[in-house]
Amino acid sequence: MEREVSPLNQQASGDGISSAIPDRRTYFFLAVALIAGAIIALQITVMRLYSISGWAHFGSMVISVAMFGFGFASTIMCLGQALFERHMDRIAKIGLLIFGPLIVLGNVVAQHAQFNPIFLLADNQQLLNLLINFLAYAAPFLVGALLLGIAFLVGRQYFQITYAADMVGSGVAGLLCMNAMLWLPPEYLLGVPLLLWWGGALAWFRARSDRNSPRLLMLAGGVAVALLLFLPQIQVSPYKGVSYAAKFPDAERIYRALGAHGLLEIYSSSYLHFAPGQSDMASLTMGDLPKNTYLGMYMDSEGPIGIMKPLPPDKRDYFHFLPMSIPYLIKPNPESVFVVQFGGGISTRTAMDAGAAHITVAEGNPMIPTAMASEAVKAFTGDLFADPRLTLVPRDGHLFIRDTQRRFQVIDLSLADSSGLSSPGGFAVTEKFLYTREAIAAYMRALEPNGVLAVTVWNKEDPPKSTLRLFATLAAAGRADAGDRAADSFYAVQVFLSTATVLYKKGGFTPEEIAKLDRHAQDMAFDTVYRPNERFKGDATAMLSGLRRMVLEKGHASQALDERAVEEGEEGLDFSTTTLYRLMLDRMIHGEDAKLIAAYPFDIMTLSDDRPYFAGFIRLQDLPSLVDRLEIISDEWGYLLLWLTLGQAALAGTILLAMPLLFGWRTIFAPQPGKLGILGYFFALGLGYILVEVSLIGKFISALGNPVISTSVLITGMLISTGLGSLVSGRFLKRSVTVMPRVFMAIASILVLYGVMLEVWLPVIGTLSWRTAACILLLFPLAFLMGFPFATGMSWLAKLGKEPFFLWAWGINGTFSVMGAVMVPLVSVSLGLSANLYLAAALYLMAWPCFFALLRPSPGSSSLAR
Amino acid sequence: MHPPRKLNKAILLPLMLLVLFGTVAAYSGQDASSDNVTQRMPDDTTKANFVEYMSKNFGHDQKFLAWRYDRYQSLINNKDITRNKEKKAFLLTAREEFTLERNKSRAYDHAFLDIDYGVTISGPHLVMRMTSALDIQDSDKVLEIGTGSGYQSAILAHLTPHVYSVEIIEPLHERTKGIYKRLVQAGSAEYANVTLKSGDGYYGWEEFAPFDKIIVTCAIDHIPPPLLKQLAPNGSMVIPVGPPGKQTLLKVKKEVDAEGKVTISRQDVYNGRLSVSFVPFTKTGGGTWSGKSPL
Repeated sequence: MEREVSPLNQQASGDGISSAIPDRRTYFFLAVALIAGAIIALQITVMRLYSISGWAHFGSMVISVAMFGFGFASTIMCLGQALFERHMDRIAKIGLLIFGPLIVLGNVVAQHAQFNPIFLLADNQQLLNLLINFLAYAAPFLVGALLLGIAFLVGRQYFQITYAADMVGSGVAGLLCMNAMLWLPPEYLLGVPLLLWWGGALAWFRARSDRNSPRLLMLAGGVAVALLLFLPQIQVSPYKGVSYAAKFPDAERIYRALGAHGLLEIYSSSYLHFAPGQSDMASLTMGDLPKNTYLGMYMDSEGPIGIMKPLPPDKRDYFHFLPMSIPYLIKPNPESVFVVQFGGGISTRTAMDAGAAHITVAEGNPMIPTAMASEAVKAFTGDLFADPRLTLVPRDGHLFIRDTQRRFQVIDLSLADSSGLSSPGGFAVTEKFLYTREAIAAYMRALEPNGVLAVTVWNKEDPPKSTLRLFATLAAAGRADAGDRAADSFYAVQVFLSTATVLYKKGGFTPEEIAKLDRHAQDMAFDTVYRPNERFKGDATAMLSGLRRMVLEKGHASQALDERAVEEGEEGLDFSTTTLYRLMLDRMIHGEDAKLIAAYPFDIMTLSDDRPYFAGFIRLQDLPSLVDRLEIISDEWGYLLLWLTLGQAALAGTILLAMPLLFGWRTIFAPQPGKLGILGYFFALGLGYILVEVSLIGKFISALGNPVISTSVLITGMLISTGLGSLVSGRFLKRSVTVMPRVFMAIASILVLYGVMLEVWLPVIGTLSWRTAACILLLFPLAFLMGFPFATGMSWLAKLGKEPFFLWAWGINGTFSVMGAVMVPLVSVSLGLSANLYLAAALYLMAWPCFFALLRPSPGSSSLAR
Repeated sequence: MHPPRKLNKAILLPLMLLVLFGTVAAYSGQDASSDNVTQRMPDDTTKANFVEYMSKNFGHDQKFLAWRYDRYQSLINNKDITRNKEKKAFLLTAREEFTLERNKSRAYDHAFLDIDYGVTISGPHLVMRMTSALDIQDSDKVLEIGTGSGYQSAILAHLTPHVYSVEIIEPLHERTKGIYKRLVQAGSAEYANVTLKSGDGYYGWEEFAPFDKIIVTCAIDHIPPPLLKQLAPNGSMVIPVGPPGKQTLLKVKKEVDAEGKVTISRQDVYNGRLSVSFVPFTKTGGGTWSGKSPL
């Protein structure tokens, strides 16, 4: 009886699902949309769970492997096509019934098989757990991919609509999932893909007129929900900050909230202490602070960021010992202060302590002011934002400052990233728009005459890397702002392996101010590394070439272990951090930095809005000389892991591509012309699309404020627009030969235009109240056109009877999508975000001739010519 | 009554003296023989000699002894230990006693190991590098912040009888206390000199201050002023400092000159060869910072 509803039987009639009555076709498209939605919701949810319970960048690695389920599914279906088609309906039914329970079960298994990156290299059990994570998540993705593959086969005669349903379903599900994160506790977040799966399966069975399976589906749904409710879906690693805080004997979680930025938790405990960058001299003169002075704030279990209560008057000398207080030495009681990021509020309290009349404080994460306004936190800190001196700007500080006409006496950018500039433990490559040349130019522009910009950062590398990248950026912006007076406008101090502070004063420092800063540096035992009117006289060339040899050349590592060599230095040169800072700041501020930057053993090029990264310090050509000494670049492991992931993606992709080639090139594909063209076409589309999508997520953060919102807008906006493009492309199918070249040209042109202009447009859009809508509008034409090529190509494969290629092409597309997602951060760090767009433009132009190869008719089939 | 009393006295006094002498002799003999073993450098001429010596004198498991010797050689090669006193401390301390059962086979690996509670036992290289950096003298009073597994304080106990250690996690403190109790009962008397408490190490241990050396094995974003205060003049401290997850191991010296001026200097424990995550980094050059206090 079931044979009557078999897609094969229907396909054999040449009309697939179209023989079904129209409302069944609607159910089919609904099923495709919901199943595709379930897959993307699963992807987003798993990434979210990884962020909270473990390590996010491993989450993307696991997901990238899981997404190979698409390539794998297409390969299986391509190779075993005959067998597969015989049992396709049964496979679909089983797949639909197990998909939901597998989603939950896979997560439970992965959460139990926890691994910790710090043990990964040395402990085989940890590697095994990582493998279990790969497999646990690969299982549901593989099933999901098989289901979509079947759906594509069934709906191939209406591929534009099927693909549109896939895209729109994914886009809407992405939005749904992102919204669910705002109110659904993370432990129940898998409910979103489950709901979509269940609806999708029901719609599928309706479309297939299958009356028995819905009963089994009820049972499968019950099992999945029971697993979700009764098995722990999230187990926070004991090595994350919040796990440790929870073990303090008097620890109490006083606040927990979900939001677009993640899970925010605040703990109180007398065991929490914060004084970032505090002078060691505090121990000689400062009394103990009262117990329970701090709360610890954790985002996605990472932290803590300190929140402090108001200090009693006799304990206020605490601020005096912090580097954040330095600008107020020369600007006491300032009229106007701008604090670029509120964070836990220590900079704001320092400004208040310095007698600031009015403080404007920006915070791009709306969850933090909300938490500060909660009764639980207010009971501890008082109602900080009720202070009439304070004005909160609920946006990223760099966006506010680029837009404002206001001017400030002091602008403070202190330890805005709680874990330092580069973050190897969490996200290997993250955009830091607060520190780009454009942002710093805006801070400098927003200073009153004689106003001071103070930038304090963690100073934890030896030899320094990220701080020098920032110093190069500050110096470049300072030279542009002050011209000839730049050399008089900077003053910098550091505490060895603690913090570094750079001051920039509009109009230059007076001798009295320099004397005051010198005295303070001496009192606090801060090390002055740049002061006006004092040139560094060392031999820069000898120093840097010696440093380069020491860091990069083999043999020097073991030689340096000799204590005499350490004390005397190679060739008697001083490579201490202080000396390096003195040399580099001197040359950078005096505009003599070009050769210096090139000679430094690490890449310390300035940051721009197009390349806003504190990552990728190792130049590619130097990497081979470091592979046997990876421990000396441990802070780059996260970035190197991306290369490893790319290698893994390339290997898996090659295997998946090679399998049909090895087994089928001469048999399955033999009579089909244009094989290489088809391969090239779907390679170009798979890689091109994802390069655009992922790099635009990075670009749009500069307008939308944070990665979560940017991801949400991009996924939803792009996929829905692409879906619409796919739908509309059906109307032009017969005119493909004339229309598609124009489409490719238009896509490539828009990409180049975006590459050049987004840097100008996005900061302006970021100042609009309707910026989300503006971003979607900006995306629409590009994403709409990008819906044409894939749907048109697949439709022609189906029309031309190139059946074997149909699934293979889909697999190629999926495989290169995974590779592209990993390539984006690597390309961006090396060449800038826009480089991805130019690369994508080239790929879409490459697709143009490939499209005509794809159109070459199969022997005996209808051809375009006819 | 008198004669007998005299007689008694006459007999008892020598008897008592004899018993006293005998007891003292017996105990001192026992101590002397124990000290001879625990204070003497074990035979490290070859692996076989070492294993035989240690298993005969201390009853340690030969399998672990062989691994301990291999790790010992690499610590010497890497200059994590250079002086005899630290070499002896490493060789005499059974690291396997301080690791979890499931990790015992990796006790001497060059790696962090999990000890539950979200805490690790640092690798032998790091423990010995921190110990060597402090150059502990046999009369030094040492404070450890972060008892953890107890392995670091066990090493310290072989260097000085004045070891104080504070652990923040109460159940971990209790477990480690239990390990010490068991080891003392089994004959490792030197561990009885380790004084433990559970509490907030940020405030040091005022009651026993000042300390000649302080070793901090848990991370913080600044050097706690109470610890610097409790550091004796000319004392030194090793401490990992930095933002969450990104600490650097520093050696901090507090020097007081004849005029009472205090100088606090910071130095990378690895002289620049360590930057993050307790992994060795290669660098020459000073990396030394110092500043005069306003006092």
